[in-house]
Amino acid sequence: MWMFALPALLINVCIILIPALLTLAGAFFLWDGIGTPVWAGLANFQALFADPVFWSALANNFIWTAIFLVVPTCMALIMAATLMMVPHSRIVVQSIIFLPRILAAAITGRIFQGMIFSPATGLVGWLNGFGLSIADPLADPDRSLYAVAAVDIWHWWGFLAVVYFAAMRQISIDQIEAARLDGAGFFALLRYVLLPGIRPTLVLMMILTVIWSFQVFEFIYIVTQGGPAYGSEVLATLAYRQAFFANDVGKATAAACVMSLFGLAATSLYLWLQIRDGARAA
Amino acid sequence: MPVTRRQIVAAIPAAAVAASLPRAPAMAQDGRKVVTFWFAQANSDGQAALRSNLVDAFNASQDKYLLQLEVKGAAVNNLLKVALLAGNGPDIVQTSGPSYLTGIANAGHLLPLDDFAARYKWKERFLPTLLNTGVYGDKLYALPRDYESMHLFYNKQLFSQKGWKVPANRAEFEQVADAALAKGITPFSNGNADWKGVNEWLMTVFFNNVAGPDNVRKALGGELPWTAPPFVEAVELSKAWYNKGYFGKNYFSLTNEQSLLQVVNGKAAMAWNGTWSFGTKSYGMSKPDTAMDVVPIAGLSDRVTEPLLHLACGATLSIAKTSPNAEGAAAVFEFMLSRKFYQDMNRDWPGKWALPVRDLPPDLLQGIGYPLFEKTIVSLHEAFSKGRYGFTTWTFWPNAANVYVMEGIEQVWLNRITAEAFLNRLQTVFSQELKEGKVPPLPPRSA
Repeated sequence: MWMFALPALLINVCIILIPALLTLAGAFFLWDGIGTPVWAGLANFQALFADPVFWSALANNFIWTAIFLVVPTCMALIMAATLMMVPHSRIVVQSIIFLPRILAAAITGRIFQGMIFSPATGLVGWLNGFGLSIADPLADPDRSLYAVAAVDIWHWWGFLAVVYFAAMRQISIDQIEAARLDGAGFFALLRYVLLPGIRPTLVLMMILTVIWSFQVFEFIYIVTQGGPAYGSEVLATLAYRQAFFANDVGKATAAACVMSLFGLAATSLYLWLQIRDGARAA
Repeated sequence: MPVTRRQIVAAIPAAAVAASLPRAPAMAQDGRKVVTFWFAQANSDGQAALRSNLVDAFNASQDKYLLQLEVKGAAVNNLLKVALLAGNGPDIVQTSGPSYLTGIANAGHLLPLDDFAARYKWKERFLPTLLNTGVYGDKLYALPRDYESMHLFYNKQLFSQKGWKVPANRAEFEQVADAALAKGITPFSNGNADWKGVNEWLMTVFFNNVAGPDNVRKALGGELPWTAPPFVEAVELSKAWYNKGYFGKNYFSLTNEQSLLQVVNGKAAMAWNGTWSFGTKSYGMSKPDTAMDVVPIAGLSDRVTEPLLHLACGATLSIAKTSPNAEGAAAVFEFMLSRKFYQDMNRDWPGKWALPVRDLPPDLLQGIGYPLFEKTIVSLHEAFSKGRYGFTTWTFWPNAANVYVMEGIEQVWLNRITAEAFLNRLQTVFSQELKEGKVPPLPPRSA
């Protein structure tokens, strides 16, 4: 029977397991990416933990996770519930809100950088021309992470709304009608009928959000490259710079291992929830 | 015939040995041996110049080799490393300068060029100062593709209109900058929104023009720590100027191109920029030079009393150790030294392929038709020939220290850390790389 799984297993071993193990091993070597690796024990982790930029990058990953667990999730749930209750124009609205998702990250990033935030060529510059004093948030280390998060939210929330809407459509229409007849308003319906009805989807998407938030790279690298002054640095941009610019592959893989730990924790939580729900159902 | 386990075990080392051996050269349809060359970034003008002046011209000049060039983009350094590790890189290995070359050369992925250098007399034809950047352990592994330096780009019309004179020391720089600020003009227009390397361009100037090139050389040789007072003064001055607004309100928002255009159109007075900027027409560097002028940057302390140029090699050219066609690659290098190639390339893509040849007769530059560029190349050539230069971070700093200068200095400018903390960290990173032999070779102080 296991022979049926063999092709998929082989692919996973070659593409995921072996590179993952090599990455893990790489964290224990000093390697510039081209010479001979030298055993270093825990030196890469010690160097990483001694680097203040690592801790600020880790903190930024947590902030990013918190933002994405709350802001796009709330926006998407409200939009999905609205689509449930207002059937007309569903297709048009879904198409519009899904559109940013199909744009390449590089294009979205450059649009926001050059056409929105730029004081020379963007909306910010245009508003400044009318006497408003608005600074480019990407140039401020205290705001740059939030500005990039706004770009990613614009790109992401519509997709999330479509996923939640699809899940809500699986809820029995009788339940919704009954709640309405009992006088449930928009938020009561969302709180007592729709959210419980899509709980498995909601949990899955939130777990995936945690995993993706610790892997976030492309928008940050395209828009701010982790700056200014490491203000929007996250673990992935730190690892990339260490590996490909500082040529310190060992430290980069150590950072990648820390990223993976959070993904592993989120996956374990998801599996535990599934097992618990399965046991309850039995 | 069934393959036994013993045969499989025996085949593994054989395969490993085979992978490290030179491959057979690819053959073109007309029987010529193919020479492969991966190029980094090139704008549309640059790509057109590469095709016509290098690929087509080389292929038409002989019938033994066929040059095949691929423009790989900004990631070429990473692609190269992976390909060389796999024994499958291009014949011609171009890196983004000695900082990138050091790791590849130390790892033994390059062919020593000494035999070719003797045959083609390259050592007599390149400027020794630049050629030295490709020497590791007494062997020549790379030829310099160009030389570069930081310069003061300024709007001469604006200067003349406001009655300003070109600054000859720190006090005069500050005088002009304060006068410009008072009139709502950005003193120095620079922007790093598209390339963080702009930070290190500026720091190259501060380190060399404040601390002095001799101190920088001592620090690169491990004889003086980066925490020494001259470097503290350099970093403090960069911070003071940033915080005074000398680099404008939009340093982190403007691209390099946007920032230099501000100087061209008079919204800014000056810029510290590099000779590579001549190669981008959209900068608006008018060829009759009506608005702009370019001069070496004056000293910024008592240690540096003369205007200073900063030695940089923006790209190196080597041959892969596993190249199946090293002869063809060397023939391409020899072609690049031809008078026609030099003139055509510098006319069509000025600044990108300023080959540091030892003899630069005035008539070699004739025909380029870009007086400002010609003047700059002559001054570079003279300074580098006589050993009067500073050291650029992207050529002489090892990778991790270079990256730290580029990234970490923003923390100083934005008041996140002190100059001392920045230099302490730089010293830690640098001393580790010095110990590991990762500092690129330093040229002698006199040619």
